[in-house]
Amino acid sequence: MLEIKDIHKSFGKNEILKGVDLTIDKGDVVVILGPSGSGKTTLLRCINFLEKADSGKAAFGELQVDLHSASKKDIHAIRQKTAFVFQSYNLFNNKTALENVTEGLITGRKVPKTEANEIGKKALDKVGLSDKYDSYPSQLSGGQQQRVGIARAVALNPDIILFDEPTSALDPELVGEVLTVMKNIANEGTTMLVVTHEMSFAKDVAKRVIFMDGGVVVEEGTPHEIFVSPKEERTKKFLKRVLPEDYTFYI
Amino acid sequence: MSDGLNYKFLVDTFFVALSGVPITLFVTAVALLVALPLGFLLALTRINQIPILNTFSQVYVSFVRGTPIIIQIFIVYASVPLILTAITEKYNWNIKIYDINPIWYAFIVFSFSTTAILIEVFRSALSTVSKGQLEAAQAVGLTNFQAYRRIVIPQALVVALPNICTATVNLIKATSLGYAMSLQEITLKAKVAANVGYNYVEAYLDIFLVYIILCSLVEYGFKLYEKRLRKYQYVSS
Repeated sequence: MLEIKDIHKSFGKNEILKGVDLTIDKGDVVVILGPSGSGKTTLLRCINFLEKADSGKAAFGELQVDLHSASKKDIHAIRQKTAFVFQSYNLFNNKTALENVTEGLITGRKVPKTEANEIGKKALDKVGLSDKYDSYPSQLSGGQQQRVGIARAVALNPDIILFDEPTSALDPELVGEVLTVMKNIANEGTTMLVVTHEMSFAKDVAKRVIFMDGGVVVEEGTPHEIFVSPKEERTKKFLKRVLPEDYTFYI
Repeated sequence: MSDGLNYKFLVDTFFVALSGVPITLFVTAVALLVALPLGFLLALTRINQIPILNTFSQVYVSFVRGTPIIIQIFIVYASVPLILTAITEKYNWNIKIYDINPIWYAFIVFSFSTTAILIEVFRSALSTVSKGQLEAAQAVGLTNFQAYRRIVIPQALVVALPNICTATVNLIKATSLGYAMSLQEITLKAKVAANVGYNYVEAYLDIFLVYIILCSLVEYGFKLYEKRLRKYQYVSS
């Protein structure tokens, strides 16, 4: 459903992405792992045109675009098919939780207000925030804010949701509630591309795991292949550092 | 000269000074109407580092901020007629340059200076709204224009409002310099009245009072508006 070909991106002289290919099928949950600076986030941002890639192609079902020279219309079309969940939530501070969720529907997609409110409330119910429709972001905890962020993405009913380290800015005890919500959404068959450091999420939910380092895909496979029998030395080293000693993998 | 204050003159002149308020407010309003949108647009060129316009705004701000308003008034009041005379003579237009109402010069000077102040006000206010919110707006399918109108500007305005209030009050006070080009505003009217009987102290007191009343009212209005705009920050759950 989504195919990325040979994507390159530099910031000044610093080459972040050195030719990454990526294929995601409908309903897949793909997790990208890797150390900081490996280009995971940049890859995600380039797919949604929050960052303009230096070169590369993307195929979205029928829609083919060049990631460097896409027209405004193409960018708009891609953004209609994708949704993004940010590390720092990026909720609209001047809007209530419900307005945050419906803003893209009403203003961006011209959905009638009553219908949008209906969709928005359902999305907020789904992330367990039925009692927070009218709360402003300043009144919500980090975990609640991120759940609003997820509801905002879900409400758009996109073909794919891109998650950029959705739990990295959260207190440890709030991580669980966000991961639970993400698992529920994954179980409903939503296509997801997730950059995360949560190994348990990768292990339990991912269909495929991609390990990136230094701007390239080092290794990819099922969670079992990556966590239990990684082939590349670089992957083994990374996993040894991030996984506890007595980590065992059940499937 | 009589001993003490001439109370009758004090009261009469208060109303003379008051009769200058409409001109003061008119000049203030026109200057704000020009400076608010222009200052905002030029602030955007600075934030987004748009070549040429960015540099232009930067130079413009230092230029206006670095010179006293009274000197700006003298320059505009002296040079614009000269330029206009040259133009009208060249094209044989029959316009009497020196009959032009000084209020036009006031519009020019105060619009210029207020724009420079507001560029900086908006620039700092816009930079307080996290870039992430703009990205989030784009990601949910809003155009840049929609994102600014619905997300960024409402938040930036709240931050900018106290400074816009200061700029407005400063502008109201600065229009008193309009007397230098015989603009019929508060200060000039009261001073002219004082000239007759040398009642300067009374006139200055009246001017003082009128400005303080005017500025307090404006400040109060801004405070009410700010409270309304800030509703998303103050509500308690």
